[in-house]
Amino acid sequence: MSKKLVYGLCFLFAVLMMSWPVSSGAAEDTIKIGATEPLSGTFKDIGERYLDGVVYAAQLINESGGLLGKKVEVVPIDSELKPDVATRKAQNLILRDGVKFFCGGTGSSVGAAMAQLAERQNVIMFTYGMDAASMTGVKCNKNFFRPGGSTDGRSFALAELIVKLGYKKIAIIAQDYSFGQEALAAFKKRVAKISPATKIVVELYHPAGTKDYGPYVSQIIAAKPDVIFTPNWGNDLTLLLKQGRPMGMSQKVFSYYINDEVTIEALGNDSLMIGNMGAEIYTLSIPTKKNEAFVAKFYKDKGYYPTWLRGKAFIATMFWAEAVKKAGTTDVAAVIKAWEGLTYDGPAGLWTMRACDHQAQVPYWYTEIVPKTKYFKHAFEAPKGMISAKAVEVPCAETGCKMK
Amino acid sequence: MSEFLVFFLHGLAYAGLLFLVSAGLTLVFGMMNVLNFAHAAMYMLGAYFSYTIVMQLTGQFWMSLMICPVILFVIGAVVERFLLRRVHRYGHVQELLLTFGLAYIITELVKWYWGNYPLAINVTGFLNGTVSIFGIIYPMYRIFIFVCAILVGGVMALVLYKTRLGIILRAAVNDSEMTNTLGVNVPLVFMGVFAFGAALSGFAGVIAGPLLSTFPGMAQEILLDAFVVIVVGGFGSLGGAILASLIIGELQSFGVLLFPKLSMALVYLLMAAVLIIKPSGLFGEES
Repeated sequence: MSKKLVYGLCFLFAVLMMSWPVSSGAAEDTIKIGATEPLSGTFKDIGERYLDGVVYAAQLINESGGLLGKKVEVVPIDSELKPDVATRKAQNLILRDGVKFFCGGTGSSVGAAMAQLAERQNVIMFTYGMDAASMTGVKCNKNFFRPGGSTDGRSFALAELIVKLGYKKIAIIAQDYSFGQEALAAFKKRVAKISPATKIVVELYHPAGTKDYGPYVSQIIAAKPDVIFTPNWGNDLTLLLKQGRPMGMSQKVFSYYINDEVTIEALGNDSLMIGNMGAEIYTLSIPTKKNEAFVAKFYKDKGYYPTWLRGKAFIATMFWAEAVKKAGTTDVAAVIKAWEGLTYDGPAGLWTMRACDHQAQVPYWYTEIVPKTKYFKHAFEAPKGMISAKAVEVPCAETGCKMK
Repeated sequence: MSEFLVFFLHGLAYAGLLFLVSAGLTLVFGMMNVLNFAHAAMYMLGAYFSYTIVMQLTGQFWMSLMICPVILFVIGAVVERFLLRRVHRYGHVQELLLTFGLAYIITELVKWYWGNYPLAINVTGFLNGTVSIFGIIYPMYRIFIFVCAILVGGVMALVLYKTRLGIILRAAVNDSEMTNTLGVNVPLVFMGVFAFGAALSGFAGVIAGPLLSTFPGMAQEILLDAFVVIVVGGFGSLGGAILASLIIGELQSFGVLLFPKLSMALVYLLMAAVLIIKPSGLFGEES
């Protein structure tokens, strides 16, 4: 029985090997970029929106004559949100099709594995949505770029906002894993630095995917904070608000991803959301001419809005294309060199790719959830100003990144 | 003191939810010796049907509370009659695999029909309000969950131990051949038990909808909790499920308050301790 199985597997393997085209260094008339996103499973919706932004960027580039005279082709890779799956599929693309560029936005663990693969195979990986600060910190490498935000930047931006608005007592709550811990640590650090009089009245960690928030909410209420800060996302944000508000947790919530239209809609009750504030590197409501033009064109082409995920992926991909254009070649070493120090003035303001850690220095845009906007029927974000890249910068010496 | 009461209430509400989810699972296992992996998927179906009934059709939460268990009862009966009964003679592993596959099929169907994103079920009126208990403002809905759990537990105990139907059920479990010979349609009894278990899971789904998120991952999320409850309480024991739900609910609530770093581990420590001291669970029968 087991022998048969082994033979069967061997046969299957042999057939699979033979069916692969043996075309080394495939046709060079397109520039391929592999987008690793969860395209199945629970986070499919997030992966698809990111992918949409990357594909739209490729479409615009191709409409205006392509990149270095070649068409950009986006190859979707279903990462299933598993590092091993993403790297296995990416490795195949590298060996079989000679793909040199990869991007992705979901799952810092996927990103970390992809960054290692990129270094080993000498290709480029960039992210627009994997936010763990350590990725351009202690885990940095020369083949990995982050034209996007980080937990440090977001926490600093929100700490500055809360202090500026004059709140003195803050409750902080996060998911109990590296992302949540890094987010709260950065937040506390910045608050202590700029306003020693501001107190963190309660600090809570809960397992990701908690079902009953009652015991946490009661502790927040008992601490009597002015406002609440949380990097929670998805269900962990929804349930905190959904279960917290009826229990009397009426404070404004400051959160990383408050402007997610899917989360707001899933709550199905705008009053839980209105008044909450966030900080994001791209939001639909950025009040600049460039962004208004981008949003209008996207809406005309697609019939829906380039909300945050799509926008972030779009800008990052355009930024990557600028680097390739400047390099004048798809040679990986040349593109790395060209991207370092490059600036891109897109819909979200001026982005600068720092050479020391490959972390883009970007401004953050504040938003507040209001009942009525021109975009959706449900409550959505309105612009509340921005904070410059300089104000939320982590100095090169403090990132922990040692680029080889 | 009032803080103690609030955390006690949190524990009761969560215990209520845990019991509602695990009651059907433990009933079916106790009566039929089938560990129904599709139970949580049926719970999810209950929540999704509730979404359609409350948010798209009638706007009445009470309606879904009555209709969804009926729908799930029918689904449960069909599953037992046409699937489970056929594989029964091949043994428990096959039954387990069948329910396992069923869980996957239901999950995919849910994604296909309702979409792969969270949906909101909102209750209005009376249930959406708050009550004042000894000066504490507490959400009505959480009290409601606990009351529902008491009602369900009470009715189940009454039927099982105080009625003729209960006697037939217990007889069918003890010696199905003898009971069959005495003129009881045992296959029909088992179909009824399985269908009732499915109806209970649907009821739990309706109750959970407004408190938790209705999304395709909700089945997986609750399954582990339900298993912990019936392992601690003892497989197949109704009283065990009640006691285990209460202990786990309160342990989680006070665990978060007193030992925040350990709150997750506490429940599993309890399970480990029970398994070491009494492997069959608190109320489980030694085999």
